[in-house]
Amino acid sequence: MARVDLTIEVCGMAGDGTIAAGGLLNEAMSAGGFSVLGFDSYPAEIRGFGRCVTRSRIGTERIFALEDKTNVLISLDDVQSRSRVPYLARDAAVFFDSNPPVYVEEEMSLAARVEPETTLFGFPMADLAAAAAGTTRGRNLTALGGFAATFGVPRDLFVEVITKKFKAKGNKVLDANIKSFDAGYAYGLEHFRDRLRDTLKPLPGIKKGPEKVMLSGNLAIGRGAIDAGLKLYFGYPITPATPIMEYLAAKLPERGGRVVQMEDEISSIGAVLGGFYAGARSMTATSGPGFALMTELITHGVMAEIPAVILNAQRGGPSTGLPTKTEQSDLHAAVFGGPGDSPRIVIAPSDVEECYRYTVLSFQLAEKYQTPVIVLTDFYLDNRVENLPIPQATEREIADANEYPDESVQGAYKRYLMTDSGISPRSIPGMEGFTFSATGLEHVEKGTPNYTEENHMNMTEKRHRKIAGALEDLPAPVEYSRGGPLDVGVIGWGSTFGAILEAVNIANERGLNVGALKITSIFPFHGGVIRAFMNRCSEVLIPELNYEGQLANLIDHLHRKDVVRLSRATGSPIPPSLILKEIETLVPAGAS
Amino acid sequence: MREKSSYLDKTLNSEREVIRNVVYSTDPADFSYMAANVPCQAACPAWTNVPAYIRCLYEGRFDRSYEINRIVNVLPGVLGRICSRPCETKCRHGERELGQPVNICHIKRAASDFKEPGHVYLEQLFAPLGKSVTVVGAGPAGLAAAHDLAVFGFDVELLEALETPGGMLAYGIPEFRLPRDVLKAEIDSILRLGVTLRTGVKVGEDVAVDELLKSRHAVLLAAGCYAARQLDVPGEDLPGVLSGLRFVMDVNSGRAPMLGKRVLVLGAGFTAFDCARLALRLGADDVAICIRGTEEDLRVTQDEIHEAKREGVHIRSLMVSTRIVGRDRVEGVEFLRTRIEGTRPDGRRKVVPVDGSDFCVPTDSVIVAVGQGPEPIPAPGEKDKRNVLKGDPTTFRTSVPNLYVAGDFMTGPTTVIESIAGGRRAAERIAEDLTGRKFREWAVRIHDTGVNDRQREWDFIPRQEMPTVLPAIERFQSPQPEVEIGYSPEPAHEESKRCYLCYLHYEIDIDACIYCRYCIDVAPRDCIKLVREVVLDESGAVKRLVETTAWEEVNAVVIDNERCIRCGACLRVCPVDCISVSKVELVQRALETGRE
Amino acid sequence: MAKDHVVIIGNGPAANEAAIALRERAPELRVTIVGREHVRQYKPHFLPALIAGKITEHDLFVRPIESYSQAGIKLRLGQEVVDVDFDTRRVILAHKEVLRFDGLIIATGGKPRIPEPFLVFQDVMMTLKTLADARVWIEKLARVDSVLIVGGDLTSVAFAKALVSMGKTVKLMVDEHGFWPLHLGDETRQEVAQRLASSGMELVACRKLKGLARVSADEIRVETDCGRYTVGAVGAFFGLVPDVKFLARSGLYIERGIIVDESLMTHYDGVYAAGDCAQVYHPALRDYWVSIGYRNAENLGRIAALNLIGGKVCAETPPESIFHVEGVKVPTSWWAEI
Repeated sequence: MARVDLTIEVCGMAGDGTIAAGGLLNEAMSAGGFSVLGFDSYPAEIRGFGRCVTRSRIGTERIFALEDKTNVLISLDDVQSRSRVPYLARDAAVFFDSNPPVYVEEEMSLAARVEPETTLFGFPMADLAAAAAGTTRGRNLTALGGFAATFGVPRDLFVEVITKKFKAKGNKVLDANIKSFDAGYAYGLEHFRDRLRDTLKPLPGIKKGPEKVMLSGNLAIGRGAIDAGLKLYFGYPITPATPIMEYLAAKLPERGGRVVQMEDEISSIGAVLGGFYAGARSMTATSGPGFALMTELITHGVMAEIPAVILNAQRGGPSTGLPTKTEQSDLHAAVFGGPGDSPRIVIAPSDVEECYRYTVLSFQLAEKYQTPVIVLTDFYLDNRVENLPIPQATEREIADANEYPDESVQGAYKRYLMTDSGISPRSIPGMEGFTFSATGLEHVEKGTPNYTEENHMNMTEKRHRKIAGALEDLPAPVEYSRGGPLDVGVIGWGSTFGAILEAVNIANERGLNVGALKITSIFPFHGGVIRAFMNRCSEVLIPELNYEGQLANLIDHLHRKDVVRLSRATGSPIPPSLILKEIETLVPAGAS
Repeated sequence: MREKSSYLDKTLNSEREVIRNVVYSTDPADFSYMAANVPCQAACPAWTNVPAYIRCLYEGRFDRSYEINRIVNVLPGVLGRICSRPCETKCRHGERELGQPVNICHIKRAASDFKEPGHVYLEQLFAPLGKSVTVVGAGPAGLAAAHDLAVFGFDVELLEALETPGGMLAYGIPEFRLPRDVLKAEIDSILRLGVTLRTGVKVGEDVAVDELLKSRHAVLLAAGCYAARQLDVPGEDLPGVLSGLRFVMDVNSGRAPMLGKRVLVLGAGFTAFDCARLALRLGADDVAICIRGTEEDLRVTQDEIHEAKREGVHIRSLMVSTRIVGRDRVEGVEFLRTRIEGTRPDGRRKVVPVDGSDFCVPTDSVIVAVGQGPEPIPAPGEKDKRNVLKGDPTTFRTSVPNLYVAGDFMTGPTTVIESIAGGRRAAERIAEDLTGRKFREWAVRIHDTGVNDRQREWDFIPRQEMPTVLPAIERFQSPQPEVEIGYSPEPAHEESKRCYLCYLHYEIDIDACIYCRYCIDVAPRDCIKLVREVVLDESGAVKRLVETTAWEEVNAVVIDNERCIRCGACLRVCPVDCISVSKVELVQRALETGRE
Repeated sequence: MAKDHVVIIGNGPAANEAAIALRERAPELRVTIVGREHVRQYKPHFLPALIAGKITEHDLFVRPIESYSQAGIKLRLGQEVVDVDFDTRRVILAHKEVLRFDGLIIATGGKPRIPEPFLVFQDVMMTLKTLADARVWIEKLARVDSVLIVGGDLTSVAFAKALVSMGKTVKLMVDEHGFWPLHLGDETRQEVAQRLASSGMELVACRKLKGLARVSADEIRVETDCGRYTVGAVGAFFGLVPDVKFLARSGLYIERGIIVDESLMTHYDGVYAAGDCAQVYHPALRDYWVSIGYRNAENLGRIAALNLIGGKVCAETPPESIFHVEGVKVPTSWWAEI
């Protein structure tokens, strides 16, 4: 079986059905047994008038990241797609509508812009769709049909996913879509005869494997929260976190939970603290600007030791910034943001499956350590789709993690009892004999305000001891290497780690000696493990999607020399090829 | 000018829509509109209401489809086979980027093929006038004139020099192109109006024009063009050199000459192609049509060229004959090479021989098919230099009172449909001259129509080609089969769906329009425009739309009916129903009754 | 003609040679080549060797793709010209892009000819002119063992030999068009055919092909005036005709090819035709001729380019040539009656 690794883009104007086409493509490829990683980008304007692009990487091996070179471009709008030309691989295939409604001047067509050896598949998508279904609406399906025919994807695979997607809209819509698809498929078989390939024939034996679902990061978070027994969701819409709220709004009520849209992010975090205070698992999701509003109340949770789960889906900043672009630049704000010495737990999943698991985990962490837990994702992780076995949480993973006070202290309950672990057993309001006062003022064990020098020192120390102790429950860094001394060690976090892993894999295939370390526990972090890894590396490289090198700032003191930073504030994911290039420049000459 | 009357219109078009508001207009602006917007009808010399008959065929109303043709064209079944199809070159579906023209002609044939076997067309007859007219020549022009004169109430006598009526249709066109039973049936339907046909009567020999003028109120000469032109090159009188027209007429009369294996046809028109294709059927196997220019200069349809080549006819171009050589019989033809040197004022290309480039092509027979002219008929009145009676092209009058001319006899060789149209107009003029009143007039009929049920899918149906007898070898059996087999019902129906129905008129009510531009989004081409100004011509019809891209300058959203393909997409998407559809047709109505 | 745009339609020897000549002599010009095929220029006469598996596709290519951008020639591949408007001097591409030109060289070459009486069998006959055709043949020959070749032009001779070398059964049905572009008399033609027969092909001795019908995907039933048999594939080899159909209503003078004068100019100023698609009127011959072959096409391409930028070069009168085909000596004139 030949190895397949194709990056496919669908590009069009808002309204062309670009995202829908990309989604169907991913579903069909997943059903065909391939690994899929997809990422959509859509216009920043709320009214939605501009370019939509879906990027999917399809492979026979597991896929960790998107590539920067596109092998197949399916254009639904030449003007929009022209901007994608620089990203085309040299021998790319380009599908485009060869019969636009009006004539275009020289150089204004997509065909004019591509390199000569690009294989052009021009076909009259709009006409074919209109001829098949009476409307040009289905031209996105027609385009998929042409693509499927050309790359050897069986018709049935697509018909199945089209049916799944459209059957709810009635037979007429479904029929029109299938007809539009078939028109493109038939045209492709007939007119591209000399260029047909069977690259994407389904993998043999696909039915035997575990059933896979296509999930985006956001959807995985939503499912994770529900599986973890979320009761209350409070939030205020913001890109890219909104889909989480939309998903929960649809699914949570039927499980007895509630979703409340608050007037802003401040009230959202306030309500989350209130919910957890009252014993119900609660969460909110936001992005940078909303997160900034929450910081004061987050530190209230730190001070009053109230659990909370806050999902920060990072986007380009500062301020309103780049609402539809990806960035990893809220690490500082998540770890350090807010007044005072306010330790909290920050975790950052690096792929869709981890989005699920870490969301589930965040509730137990919040309960056990009585603290706000910040889950850091980013636009690229939230919106990318991967196909993965249906994720499930075990009973243990979702069990109540609250440490309740012993009956022996009934009537003499100290909410902020000094302990070795720093964890003071927590009662829930309503538990008889376990009343307490909770406050954002500095307080003594009983909870009453107290500003003495000694008490503030002890209590601050207790809170930090508690958080430091959380390390035992936090996922340790994962190393990907052959072990032993490494020429280059690449450390990464969040959505960037996939690209790192792929670059490292390729480097090792090329005979280099490099390794990767994935850090998902951002704070507290496993300093010892990280230092041990660094010590084995001649050079340490930290690629991340921000300008300041925020993870590097957090951990670079652990290395005996300067770490090499690959800090990119471009709003777009780092491609593996860029990391690979950096690795190659760091490897001493002749090392391979 | 526009008389608005609302009345019941029960006779036409659709049993389903019985009552409608109908307006008949003779406003020049409306005629201008028709000329620009229903290009097929405007291109037809007889102004056949093409969209209407195609629509009827689509609805399965074959009789009515045939009748709509029959109103202006007395020989629909014949024309459905051999018409020169000026309409198809103007068909909007054939515009660049829209595909190929509708097969208008073959739909006509389908209507004729599928109509009830015993179908009888009920003519709208006028009261008898008690006056008599003799029509000379039973070809297309004579038949059409005789028919209309009979309808107007004249006592009509039709004289034909040859043995059967039909003129060139009976003698000049091979049977593989036009089966004679089709012709006979349609001629019979003319004769049954009381027209007295006398064949084998050669006017000028058997009976003098003067004599006819004495006994009849009027005489119309429509004797056609039977005098074959000559090449005027040495050797043209050698045995084995045949006149094309004579050759075809001989074959049609069952007197086929011996040709030999190699035949050169000199000529570039339909007759040349008929000769070449007949020659193959008579056993020749190396037949070439030699033309002065290139294939582009040929005056025949692309289908004709294709079918001829498919049968094995070669076309040899850029050569002009200078001499026919041979001792006792033709042995070869000498040619000069030619070159194209620009365009002549009439738009045709100027082809000149190259001095000294002569070469000889050996052959067994030569058929000269370079056209024909009218044969002079002895008659009083003013003549041209070839001694043929001259007539006025609009009044059809000659210099002799009550003596009229029409058809190819007056104009020189034209097409069948032009002859029919000419014959009809001549009949009208004669009737007006003899009675002092008008019998009928053209008007634009405008009425509301229900929502257009055309589907956008239909625009993409490929042109349904006429099936022919294939492989071509099968055509050479005896008796000659008709090469074009005719549509079966299904492809005919498919083809009828392709017609855009340009007689539909889409209009945006600008007072109701909210400028949402949804219609522009769904438009199949740039047919709906944002305009600053609508410029009218002197007749009051839309001449030009001044478009603008500056939103603040937009004064209206306008459907450009000349770009519109009547797909109905705008109509379906308009949120405020401000787009209306009306049906606009050019019709001829009888003035006395108001009926069409 | 500073910054003027020269569009070259076609991507064969004439087109490429013209582009190179323009680049050398008039570096200030903008030059665009529009090629309908999806691959860069290749040597079509090697296609039979490709089919036989003796060479790879890579061996066909004339020059690296980078050479175009290096030379500043805009190369558009897989793009088709559907019309040219000489009044407004615009070239219309199939995908509705409009190119304006100051100079135009039409070098679209030839395309396989199928005589009209055989058009009815077009669906079951295969041709060999392009790399795409060759790919289809390669795919087909993986499944079939016998091939009937009808017509029998010179391309088919090389192709038939390639088939024999692959161990395929080859039936050859040479008709009056046989050995195009050479104009052979009946006797010479038979002699050449007999020699071919001795190299392992079977000569089918009949004059008329009466029917071809596909029985299954890889079986075609052949009916001739002297018998019926079944083959795996049928190849039509009746020579080439100039590929100029898209210009039919453009106003150019076209008989077989585009009619040009001895400097290769059409009757439109600055519009030239070169290679197999040009029909040259030569005053010395007092007749027309159409060039055939790679080398001639290159020559004509260069001449058209030089004349376009103000040169005065005449296409040379082609000499009477003697050809050796399968060891038979054949006199030929270039003007082939097709």
